[in-house]
Amino acid sequence: MIGAALALARVKLVLELRRREVVFAMLLFVAATIVIVHFALRADEGAGPRAAAGMLWAAVVFTAVLGLLRAFAAEAEEGALDALLLAPVDRAAIWLGSALAQLGFLVVVELVAVPLWWLLFFQEGGPEPLPVIAALLLANIGIALVGTLAAGLALGARTRDVLLPVLVLPLAIPLVLAGVTATYGAFGEEGGGFGPLGPLGFLALYDLIFLALAWGTSEHLLGD
Amino acid sequence: MTLEGCSKRFGERLALRKATLAVEPGETVVLLGPNGAGKSTLLRLAAGLLRPTAGHARIDGVDAVDAPRAMRAGMAYAGHRSQLYRGLTARENLALHARLHGRALDLDAALAAVGLADRADERIDGFSRGMLQRLALARATAHDPVLLLLDEPASGLDADGRALLDGALMDGHGRRTQLVASHDADLPARLGARAVRLDAGRLA
Repeated sequence: MIGAALALARVKLVLELRRREVVFAMLLFVAATIVIVHFALRADEGAGPRAAAGMLWAAVVFTAVLGLLRAFAAEAEEGALDALLLAPVDRAAIWLGSALAQLGFLVVVELVAVPLWWLLFFQEGGPEPLPVIAALLLANIGIALVGTLAAGLALGARTRDVLLPVLVLPLAIPLVLAGVTATYGAFGEEGGGFGPLGPLGFLALYDLIFLALAWGTSEHLLGD
Repeated sequence: MTLEGCSKRFGERLALRKATLAVEPGETVVLLGPNGAGKSTLLRLAAGLLRPTAGHARIDGVDAVDAPRAMRAGMAYAGHRSQLYRGLTARENLALHARLHGRALDLDAALAAVGLADRADERIDGFSRGMLQRLALARATAHDPVLLLLDEPASGLDADGRALLDGALMDGHGRRTQLVASHDADLPARLGARAVRLDAGRLA
């Protein structure tokens, strides 16, 4: 199953390299958001760690939704999803392959977005980088897992472009809260609110729960 | 492959009404009927891509929508669309198909069989409808399925393409179970196959 998922993820990454339909739009959106908020908050005069952290995570989540709207676009073009559904592989592999591709897109986008955020919001000082990077990686996994599951759920709906954000954003709220807390904590401030697990532990637990949930339900979600 | 009193409703519209059909192993059946008769719906039910509103679509006694992996390995369905990735080359599309089926296929031979050997490394988003149909036929037959479901496979094909298609169907006749939706009323006679007529969602 892992082999089939990796093959599908590779196909999606190859398609993106050739067509540049998803990542380019995501990059444009996240960069524009960071720059606009930078000027709106007059970040160079000190926006405060909480505002900077919140800004980063809002940009990440909305950018991720933009990518998720195209999660199964390549399959929809010529009905490739039918061939995938009839292939002798676990249907979870279709979901996992798409989730891995989404994870790849998010990482690429953040490789540009996070340095830009850092540059604009923290001329001097800034948070400890490691907790921020760890929180982003864990949250990316959660967003890709949950978002691709929701994209599969919305696939047959005529109003999927509206339905997808409605499904994804409420499920992403815990990720954003934990991400903001972890980022705020990386400034040496007390974030609190996630008990003994801490925000990073919470993010890892969220990923595990939704990995199991999506794995178990993708067989039914992707069918008729 | 059997349909037992199969109906399918899409909202207000009843696309298929209590269809009952049995296709025996090795038999070829051609499904004839006008546009909108319900041929595509019947084929998608047979493939397990749709769940019937009433009745059962079964393959070897198993509900088609619940066909296990081993059963899906022996099935192929080609619909109105090519079911290929438009940004990939012809060879890459077949390679993915082989990978998903866990088969080491001779991709060059499969492409040559449908007359696409010299276009193997071109992205298919530049292909004509007929070339996509040829590649879809190669994809559907490459893993030598025991159940082949084709929905109007001749649409967009030129004379050479139609001859290739007839050849592929004749090659499978008696060797695999084939259900083909078509507008070509002469096809059953050419293949020596049973013809079944579908009209306004009802099997005649």
